[in-house]
Amino acid sequence: MIESIEGKRGIPRHRPPFVAQVGLFGRPTLVHNVETLYWVARICREGPEVLCAIEKNGRKGLRSFSVSGRVSKPGVFLLPAGSTIRDVIEAAGGMKEGHVFKAYQPGGPSSGLLPASLEHVPLDFDMLQPHGSFIGSAAVVVLSDRDSAREAALNMLRFFEDESCGQCTPCRAGCEKAVKLMQAETWDAPLLEDLCQVMADASICGLGQAAPNPIRLVMRHFPEEVGATDGPHDPGSYGTRQALEGDWE
Amino acid sequence: MSTVTFTLNGQSVTVPEGWTIWEAAQGRGLTIPHLCHKPAPGYRPDGNCRACMVEVEGERTLVASCIRPVAAGMVVTTDSARAESARRMVIELLAADQPEIPHDTGSPFAEMARATGVESSRFPAKDPETIPLLDASHVAMRVNLESCIHCNLCVRACREVQVNDVIGMADRGHKARVVFDQGDPVGDSSCVACGECVQACPTGALMPASVLDDAQAGNSADFDEEVGSVCPYCGVGCQLSFKVKDGRINYVDGMNGPANEGRLCVKGRFGFDYVNHSQRLTTPLIRREGAPKGLNVDPANPLTHFREATWEEALDAAAGGLARLRDESGTTVAGFGSAKCSNEEAYLFQKLIRQGFGHNNVDHCTRLCHASSVAALLENVGSGAVTATFNQIENADVAIVIGANPVENHPVAATYFKQFAKRGGKLIVMDPRGVGLRRHASHMLQFKAGADVAMLNAIMHVIVEEDLCDRQYIEGFTENFAQMKAHLADFPPEKMAALCGIDAETLREVARTFAGARAGMIFWGMGVSQHVHGTDNSRCLISLALMCGHVGRPGTGLHPLRGQNNVQGASDAGLIPMFLPDYQSVTDDGVRSAFTEIWGSEDFSAETGLTVVEIMDAIHAGSIKGMYILGENPAMSDPDVDHARAALARLEHLVVQDIFLTETASYADVILPASAWAEKSGTVTNTNRQVQMGRPAIRPPGDAREDWWITVELARRLGLDWSYRHPREVFAEMARSMRSLDNITWERLEAEGAVTYPSHSLDDPGQAVVFGEGFPRAGGRARFTPASVVPPDEVPDADYPFVLITGRQLEHWHTGSMTRRATVLDAVEPEANCSLHPRTLRRLGVDPGGLVRLTTRRGSVTLMARADRAVAEDNVFMPFAFVEAAANILTNPALDPYGKIPEFKYSAVRVEKVETVAAE
Repeated sequence: MIESIEGKRGIPRHRPPFVAQVGLFGRPTLVHNVETLYWVARICREGPEVLCAIEKNGRKGLRSFSVSGRVSKPGVFLLPAGSTIRDVIEAAGGMKEGHVFKAYQPGGPSSGLLPASLEHVPLDFDMLQPHGSFIGSAAVVVLSDRDSAREAALNMLRFFEDESCGQCTPCRAGCEKAVKLMQAETWDAPLLEDLCQVMADASICGLGQAAPNPIRLVMRHFPEEVGATDGPHDPGSYGTRQALEGDWE
Repeated sequence: MSTVTFTLNGQSVTVPEGWTIWEAAQGRGLTIPHLCHKPAPGYRPDGNCRACMVEVEGERTLVASCIRPVAAGMVVTTDSARAESARRMVIELLAADQPEIPHDTGSPFAEMARATGVESSRFPAKDPETIPLLDASHVAMRVNLESCIHCNLCVRACREVQVNDVIGMADRGHKARVVFDQGDPVGDSSCVACGECVQACPTGALMPASVLDDAQAGNSADFDEEVGSVCPYCGVGCQLSFKVKDGRINYVDGMNGPANEGRLCVKGRFGFDYVNHSQRLTTPLIRREGAPKGLNVDPANPLTHFREATWEEALDAAAGGLARLRDESGTTVAGFGSAKCSNEEAYLFQKLIRQGFGHNNVDHCTRLCHASSVAALLENVGSGAVTATFNQIENADVAIVIGANPVENHPVAATYFKQFAKRGGKLIVMDPRGVGLRRHASHMLQFKAGADVAMLNAIMHVIVEEDLCDRQYIEGFTENFAQMKAHLADFPPEKMAALCGIDAETLREVARTFAGARAGMIFWGMGVSQHVHGTDNSRCLISLALMCGHVGRPGTGLHPLRGQNNVQGASDAGLIPMFLPDYQSVTDDGVRSAFTEIWGSEDFSAETGLTVVEIMDAIHAGSIKGMYILGENPAMSDPDVDHARAALARLEHLVVQDIFLTETASYADVILPASAWAEKSGTVTNTNRQVQMGRPAIRPPGDAREDWWITVELARRLGLDWSYRHPREVFAEMARSMRSLDNITWERLEAEGAVTYPSHSLDDPGQAVVFGEGFPRAGGRARFTPASVVPPDEVPDADYPFVLITGRQLEHWHTGSMTRRATVLDAVEPEANCSLHPRTLRRLGVDPGGLVRLTTRRGSVTLMARADRAVAEDNVFMPFAFVEAAANILTNPALDPYGKIPEFKYSAVRVEKVETVAAE
């Protein structure tokens, strides 16, 4: 966004320096999303209790969840930040008629796909990291027994392939190659894991770094769908912490 | 210098602050793979390819080492499994999309793939329909974007290094692609073929066409040797590397010379194959008995008028004819040496005339380019060379470029000017034409041709009137300011505006901008010098710089952009009728005796000799009867060239030494086949006072010989006791009489490639800026010489209503003898042309591309007319490289009284439409 404001091609900058040090036109810059600014205004007007008085599952605050997929009433719901996917589905009127909850994307495609078995995790900052995901934009997609996790992951990677700015090799070529590899009946798990690793390790921004999440989570939680025979995939000796939310511009 | 200490692979390492991890590792002999990073001047790291990833303790992801500065206490590991795997994977990802038969098997990408152990890729290739096709639309370059790895180097090369702004990236993701302009084929785009992108491309996606076969396969590493030399074209003096294969130049790369830092232009990079042209002279020629002299010889078939001879016979004939004239009477022989040859050859040439004929009738093309600038500089500053290198613009905050078109004529110098403007420097461009630099200018003063003095005096008037002068500088380092001040009182901008065509407010603003700058420079070209008031023009520029104190500090200075590759050196070496080497006057008995002592010969004439145009007149007058012309082409380059050609035809004996049968050679009695620059050893001195080493890359064709050898052989036959066996011996002799060469030795030049004079010690690379502590004049002071407005010699009237301005084009050099025989250059700009404003063309009823007849009081030519808004409505611009419509048939031979330079930049001309009859 800062590059665009400066009239340049919209590609991420290298960090450091961070935008708080060297940002727009070389000046220290504060970058906030709309949700933050909305809450800042309300806190100023109504006091901090408007947010921190709300507590659930040991987590404080509120979050707007954008819910789509196999729920009865898709929409945006303001819920306690400590809500689990069960709470979110309930808020959205429960599962659609005839659908059984199978998996969910907790916060945008970068957050990948978690299985229904992880229904007890509060969808808040830092709670999903141990599971290789994060809350990100809180754009929740609910999948049912009629959906293919593999197809959902492929769809996510197609999204990244399209969204990648093309600046760095791991993301530009990585997303494109991943989409090709994910169309194989049986996924080449070792090659995909190598690819995921370089994308997570070497991409410039959070988009490329998080793009492998759907691949890894499908290999871990839905191995039967991708023809993997050796059970849940070992993420490797050095587990990679996922990108911070809002890390890509 | 502050330093930073960090840990690299377990070892404590200290590096200068600001170094990147990559630089620190490279400094310790550890090359981290890199594709998008080009460790060369002008290329910032971009960190996009991710082939150089390393691990930094405490960081979540890996780090691109090329772009990350080292921080104190940082713990970096380059050889961890994680880092090595990431680097390998990046290369493997890219390798998946490389074509089966690489366009460049010797590319940096291929090298890096080998270094990281990637032999093949496990990844599927791109969809075939997304693979870009060959773009062969440019004669010099091939664009095979299927090899492109999106490293962005070509974009940085084009936009940041050369500042041509042609290449960009379009689209995004894996569909992103390199585009020229708006996605045009390169040959149709605004690309000027500097080839910087070709040199930067790490994959073979952009290649010199000369390296690829018809199947687009090639190998840039396939050469027998690389020979470092200097570009043979302009005075910028770019160092370049000839890649030689089987005795031929395969392609050319820029080298990191002090003037060019790796950059080249289309001529230097793609204009080298004239050396292989079938018309090269390969054997000595003697005019056939009775063959009429004229511009009547086909350079491809000289045997109609000449017969082949042995060197013995030809040298005897050449020297014999000159000796006969010498023995008849004193001064009937004259010589034109060349600014295209080496310093040593220039020195030998002037020595031959002076020692062999006892007089000073020796000159060269400096007379036609900057003689007036040199006259003004010698008069007022005490030295004819630049006071600062053009690269000093890096330290300036304002610069004036006047009467120069560096984007075409000094393209690599122009890249520094454009970068200066891009960084926010104020670039003030003054020219009757809206030259290419205009796009980068903060102020464009498109003034009336010939009104230089009026405009510059008005600017200086404002500086005095508004008290913007640097009084301390004026008092400390100059003389005659009071008179200057009084003189300028008559030139208020309000009064000069009508004369020069620039409104008073703009003149005032420019005056304030230049005078108010911390550091300012002035660059000028032949738009300033080639006038009957050329010396006055230069005097104004010198005064302007002096009154603002813009001389002698970094980022300040006076810089006439020298034209020929060695016009500075040839002038320094004494190839001028009034000066011996280092501008020591021939009229000074002490100076002459110092030389005759070194030369071991008798005294020669104390009278200054005749200049170029004066020699032509003297031939008509019958007082010059014989000439020795080395590498000059007066039959094309002299003003009123029909007059010059008639003079050459009148000569009793003309010896021409050249690489082609030039227009001048067609009037010769004896033609001696010489070597091209790429075939010889010798030093050259560029516009920056940088003495540089030229090395032979290939052998001269047939029986052609190096110029110095030919001059020595003639000298021997003229009875001189010369025994030089190598240019280094000549250089050593020069250094004995030239203080400018103090501390500069042949051995140093061989080792270092370049030394700037003056050099204060054997370790001193030379002084980029001079005269910070005074000037080489009596009292150490520079002088203000007031200049009055002198009109051009020939002003337009009813019969000749337009102003003709001659000059050059990017692709063609001087009289075209080399560039019109260089395949790429002649293909890009093949036809004689002139440029007029589109409105003027419309008024004349001429379509762009149609024919016009240009007529002056000297003659008439017919040629193609281009529409160009850069040209003022009452002006015509015409390059002089085309023999089929030679501009100098039209030009006025009126001379500047001091510099004796002709007024090439101003003739009254008539323009008429020529009805074209369609060929049946």
